[in-house]
Amino acid sequence: MESLEGLSVINSFHLATIEVGKHFIWKIGSFTVHGQVFMTSWFVISVLLIASILATKNIQRVPQGIQNLMEYVLEFLRDLAKNQLGEKEYRPWLPFIGTLFLFIFVSNWSGALIPWKLIAIPGSELAAPTNDINTTVALALLTSLAYFYAGFSKKGLGYFANYIEPIPILLPIKILEDFTKPLSLSFRLFGNILADELVVAVLVFLVPLFIPLPLMALGLFTSAIQALVFATLAGAYIHEAIEGHDEEHGH
Amino acid sequence: MFDFDATAPLMAVQFLILMFLLNKVFYTPLSKVLDERADYIQSKEKDARQRLAQTKQLTQEYEKQLVGARKQSQEVIATAQAEAKKITADKLAEAQKLAQIQKEQVQQEIETQKQSAMATLEQQVDSLSRQILEKLLGAELVK
Repeated sequence: MESLEGLSVINSFHLATIEVGKHFIWKIGSFTVHGQVFMTSWFVISVLLIASILATKNIQRVPQGIQNLMEYVLEFLRDLAKNQLGEKEYRPWLPFIGTLFLFIFVSNWSGALIPWKLIAIPGSELAAPTNDINTTVALALLTSLAYFYAGFSKKGLGYFANYIEPIPILLPIKILEDFTKPLSLSFRLFGNILADELVVAVLVFLVPLFIPLPLMALGLFTSAIQALVFATLAGAYIHEAIEGHDEEHGH
Repeated sequence: MFDFDATAPLMAVQFLILMFLLNKVFYTPLSKVLDERADYIQSKEKDARQRLAQTKQLTQEYEKQLVGARKQSQEVIATAQAEAKKITADKLAEAQKLAQIQKEQVQQEIETQKQSAMATLEQQVDSLSRQILEKLLGAELVK
C-alpha cells in the first residue's frame, strides 16, 4: 500500500485520492472505534429500516409499490435460506441470514454507488462499511457463533459428534475448519470490496473519465455476488451444524 | 489496514440490533402476509376446483337426465304409434267384417229373390207354354 499512497501525492484531483488504513478515530473510554465505518453503517441501517417500515406500514393483500419490492426481497431471502437449510429448518434462521445478505448488499452497493468520498471528514474518508476488516470480522464471528448455537441447541453436546464423523481421523481438519470458516468469510468479503474500491480509485486516478465505468459496473456485480456468497455460506455452515447424521441415511 | 479495535464488537452488537429490528418490522409482518396470501390463494383455488367438479357433476347429471327424457319421449311416441296402428287395424278389420256380413246378406237376398223369380218364371213358363200349346193345338186337344 505504500506505493499507492505515494501515487496519491502527485495526484492533483481531490476525487481520486487513494487512502487505505487511515481512520476517523472516535474514542469511547479507553477504546477507539473507526468513526467513518459507523457513519456509513448507520446510513445502511437506516436505509434498511426505513424501507422495511415503509413497506409494512400499510400492508395489503395485493402488494403495491415498496411493499411489492420488499416482498420480492423477502421471497429472495427465503429462497436463499431454504436452499441452504431446507424447508423445515429455515424459518428461525431467516432473520440472521437475510439480515447478513441485506446489510452486506446495501453496504457494498452504497460504497459502489454513492460518492462517499465527496463528504469530507477529518483524517479519513467514507466508504462502504464492509471496506473495513472490523466489520467483516464481526459478521464472520457472528456467523461462527450462529452455527455453534445452531448445533448445540439442536443436538446439545451431541454436536461434538460432528467432529468425529464420518471418521475420527478428520478431527484436526474439522477443528481447523472452525477457524478457517470465519477467516475465509471475513477476508473474502473484505478483500473483494477493498480491492474493487482500490482498482476503481487507481483507474480514476489514471484516467478520470469513462474508462473506470466498466470496472465500476463489474464492482456492482462483485458486490452483489459477495453478499450472496456470504449469506449462502452462513446458511451452509448452519445447515452443516444442525444436519443429523441419522437424517443423512433417511434421505 | 488490519487494525482491530472496538469497532468489531460494536459492529456485531449493531448488527444484532439491526437483525432484531428487521425481524420486528420486516421479516415477521411480511412473512405473515406472504403466508396468509398463500393460504388465501390455496383456499380459493380449492374452492374453485370444488365448484368446477360440482359443475361437472351437475352437467353430467343433467346430460344423463336429458338422455333419459329423450329415451322416454321416444318410447312414448313409439307406444302411441303402435297404439294408433292397432286401433287402425282393429277398425279396419271391423269394417271389413261388417262389409263382409252385409255383402253376404245382400247376396243371400239376391239368391232368394233370384230363386223366387225363377219360381215365378217357371210358373209363367208353364202357363205360357200351355197357352202356346192351346193356341197351336186348340183348346180341346190340350186338355
